Amino acid sequence: MFSEDRPTSTRDAGPDGRPVERRRRADRADRAGTPPDGVERRRQRAVDSLGLSVPARQQRDDRFDRITRLAARIFDASWAGITVLDGDQAWFPSAQGFDIPLMPREDTFCSRTTSNARLTVVPDATLDPDYAGLPAVVNDGIRFYAGVPMTDTLGNVIGVFCVYDHSPRTMPGRDLETLEDLAAWAQSELVGSSEMLRAGQVQKAMLPAAPLHRDGWDVDGICLPALAVGGDLFDFALTNGVIHIGLGDVMGKGTGAALVGAGVRAAVRSTHPEVVTGTDLGTTTHRVARTLRGDLERNESFVTLFQCAIDVASGSVRYADAGAGLCVLLRVDGTVERLTSEDRPLGILPDDTWTEHRTTIDPGDRLLVFSDGLLDLLHDQVEWWPEVGTLVGEHADPAGLLLAVRELTAAQVALDDVTAVAVYRSPEARE
Amino acid sequence: MIEFDVRTTDDGIGVVAPRGRLNMVAARQLRETLTGLVEGGTRRIVVDLAGTTFLDSSALGALVAGLKTARQAGGDLRIARPTESVMTVFRLTNMDKVLRARDDVESAFDV
Repeated sequence: MFSEDRPTSTRDAGPDGRPVERRRRADRADRAGTPPDGVERRRQRAVDSLGLSVPARQQRDDRFDRITRLAARIFDASWAGITVLDGDQAWFPSAQGFDIPLMPREDTFCSRTTSNARLTVVPDATLDPDYAGLPAVVNDGIRFYAGVPMTDTLGNVIGVFCVYDHSPRTMPGRDLETLEDLAAWAQSELVGSSEMLRAGQVQKAMLPAAPLHRDGWDVDGICLPALAVGGDLFDFALTNGVIHIGLGDVMGKGTGAALVGAGVRAAVRSTHPEVVTGTDLGTTTHRVARTLRGDLERNESFVTLFQCAIDVASGSVRYADAGAGLCVLLRVDGTVERLTSEDRPLGILPDDTWTEHRTTIDPGDRLLVFSDGLLDLLHDQVEWWPEVGTLVGEHADPAGLLLAVRELTAAQVALDDVTAVAVYRSPEARE
Repeated sequence: MIEFDVRTTDDGIGVVAPRGRLNMVAARQLRETLTGLVEGGTRRIVVDLAGTTFLDSSALGALVAGLKTARQAGGDLRIARPTESVMTVFRLTNMDKVLRARDDVESAFDV
């Protein structure tokens, strides 16, 4: 789906150079206009989120080197590479024919391609004032350039796949197609393999299949991993008139966190029969911690875990919070309360304990528990609960609220997994 | 990109000052830096967070791992000068009692 979305306005670039000249003027017009800040901000967050920031040490990746080597050979090009723009710098996850660790962003051909967000061909850089002054042209004698933007699943440009030559040249349409194919291949390596997409489907299937609607209670959740899979999880089930909800966040994100997360889910599930018959949540949390202890220690990981048990008939709530701290209760009169604790995440210190607390969800009250991936997207991350209270108040049911969370996540490009569970109690109490 | 300033004071205390965003990629570097200091014989470490603008759960994990490593070696790890947004992360997770924030680097090991 990636390559089909990419506009290819210069496919017809002719050998006589005329159509190319017209295109370049259009590009200059694009650049002359105010660059849309939102686009660049989203682009930068996408680069951060995929872990494509400038690395501390120069590193090359075989997966990309195979593709750029192939490109250099097929097109008999002097150079081939992948460029990623991070802040005001450019770095090269793969480079054939040149060995530059880092460059100022503005000094690269690919900075232009990233702004254009489409295939860009420069037949002879010395004839184009936009490119003639670049160090690659002045110092290294580069004349020809062709670059294809690589995008993430949302269309943000995360890198550029490019070839360069010391001689001026043109690129026939068939070659441009091949270049785009190679770029699409490199892009799928950058964004994640199909295997990981399948893993994501498996992880999704482990979430509750449907929302809960019972006796005036509505419970629903959402889990949006930043990568193909994530370390966030939630679970809820109603047994014996008690709704047991859990929301966990394993340190980090991606596959490692997801593997630990599957263990957390299983450990919490195993306590469900006791939780719904009234066993203290501090005790059951301790048991979950003991089950996970070895795994967390060996992986140098930790987990935040919020759990609550709601009595459907009375609305009384028991909860325990292992270091999450992100639960808001919006009262029917508009008051925003936080459900807090003094307890630490699982896997920090061997002597840690957890305590059960109590509150009540009255008719018309709404509860939202969420992971810190959502906190990152709020305007005020220090005093965040009024904003969350407003968000909850604006939506009449959990589905609407969670849709708003999904939209917020997509609009801001979340850096971390975003998970939320909403509990709404209908204003009319039912016996 | 994040930069780490690493220095050792006259008292033999290692000072690590990460500048910028401490995310998953940077957390790995931080953990290696802290482990390297302890293995090199520097068992008392101050992580100076004055220049750290953002800290995610991986970075928190790196600090906890560094704390455990330092304590196992008979030393300790302390944090100094966190910004308000970084402090929020410590408070939310109730980690502010294990990693108590110190007002400055020089006196971080005085009490």
